Amino acid sequence: MKPVLNVLLTHQRSNAVAAMVDWWARCVPRESIVVAYGGSREDFEALTFAPKLFIDDPRLRTRDHPRERQSYGAVFREVASWMRNRDYRHVHFAEYDHLPLVGDLNERQGSLMEADGADVIGFHVRRVDETNCAHYLAHAAEPGFFPFWKKITCRRDPGVVLSMIATGSCWTREAFDAVAAISEPHPMYVEIFPPTLAHHLGFRVRDYGPQTRFVRHLGDRIAEVAEARENGAWTIHPVKSGWAGSAPL
Amino acid sequence: MALHTTFLRRFVLALARSVGSQITDAETGRVLGRAFLFPWRGKIAVIGLEAEVKPVFLTQKRLTFWKQDLGFTVQQPPDFPHEASPQRPPDPPAK
Repeated sequence: MKPVLNVLLTHQRSNAVAAMVDWWARCVPRESIVVAYGGSREDFEALTFAPKLFIDDPRLRTRDHPRERQSYGAVFREVASWMRNRDYRHVHFAEYDHLPLVGDLNERQGSLMEADGADVIGFHVRRVDETNCAHYLAHAAEPGFFPFWKKITCRRDPGVVLSMIATGSCWTREAFDAVAAISEPHPMYVEIFPPTLAHHLGFRVRDYGPQTRFVRHLGDRIAEVAEARENGAWTIHPVKSGWAGSAPL
Repeated sequence: MALHTTFLRRFVLALARSVGSQITDAETGRVLGRAFLFPWRGKIAVIGLEAEVKPVFLTQKRLTFWKQDLGFTVQQPPDFPHEASPQRPPDPPAK
C-alpha cells in the first residue's frame, strides 16, 4: 500500500505549476503528487507534469466562491476515478496557494490522524448548525438541505452541519471514496458539503488543532513564511504569489 | 452608489465593533465581541458580530413570568466518534 496521494489543485500556467511541484517535492515524495487542473484546456495540455487531471466543471470555476457555492465535487470524482486501481491509503488535498513547510508532512498528518482516530482532518473544522455562520444560514434556507442529510445519515442527529476549509484536508481512502461517490442534491459550498457528508456517513472529522492558526481564507502570507516556520507551522495558506512568473519562492 | 453603500457598511461595522454591546458567552463568560442588537418586527438583528454564536435563553435562579433573557454561546468543536460501517456501501448519488 502506498501511504498518501497528494492532490494539488491549480489553475496556473505551466511554469508556475512546475515551480509548485518542485517545492512540494521537498516535502512529500514526487511520485505521490497528482495535479488536478482547473484552468483552461489549452494550458492543461501545455503542462509537462504527469500525472495530471483536467477538471471540467463550471462549479469549480466560480468567481464569488461562497455565493456561487463553489464545488470540488468534480475534483473528488476525478481523483477517486483515477485512484480506482491504485492502492493509496490516504488522500491529502491542497490548493496551489497552500505551501508545505516540513519535509515529513504526510508522516505528521498520518500520526495526527492515528492519534485522534480521525478519518478526516482539516483546517477550521467547526460545527455551524444553529449558529449565525453565514454559509450555514444560506444553506439552511434551501428546502432540500435538511431532508438530504436526514435521508443519508447514519448519525442520531441529522441536523449537525460541519464547516471546514477544503485545502489541507487529509482523508482516509475509505472516507474520500465514500464522499466522492455522492453528489450534491443541489449546489452546496465546498466548505460545507464534504465535511458534513463525511460526518453523516459516519466518518470522524477533526480539526488540525494548533496548526489551524497557520491557515486562513484571505490575503497573501508570503512575508510570514519564515516566521510561521519558526513557530512550528507544517504548512501555511494562502501564499498566492509563491509561484508568480518563473521565480519560485 | 455602490461605493457609498460599501463605505456606509464599513462605517457601521466599525462602529458596531467598537461601541456596540459587548457579547459574552452565556456559558463561560468569555468575551466574544461587540455588536449592535436591534429588535425589529419580532426578530433581533445582530450587526457586526464576528464570532460564530448560537442564541440561547438564559437560565434564571428566580422563577419569573414577565421577563426572560436571550444570550449567546458557541457551538462545541466537533468530536463525534467513527460510526461508519465498512460493510455498508455509500448510498447512491441523489437524483
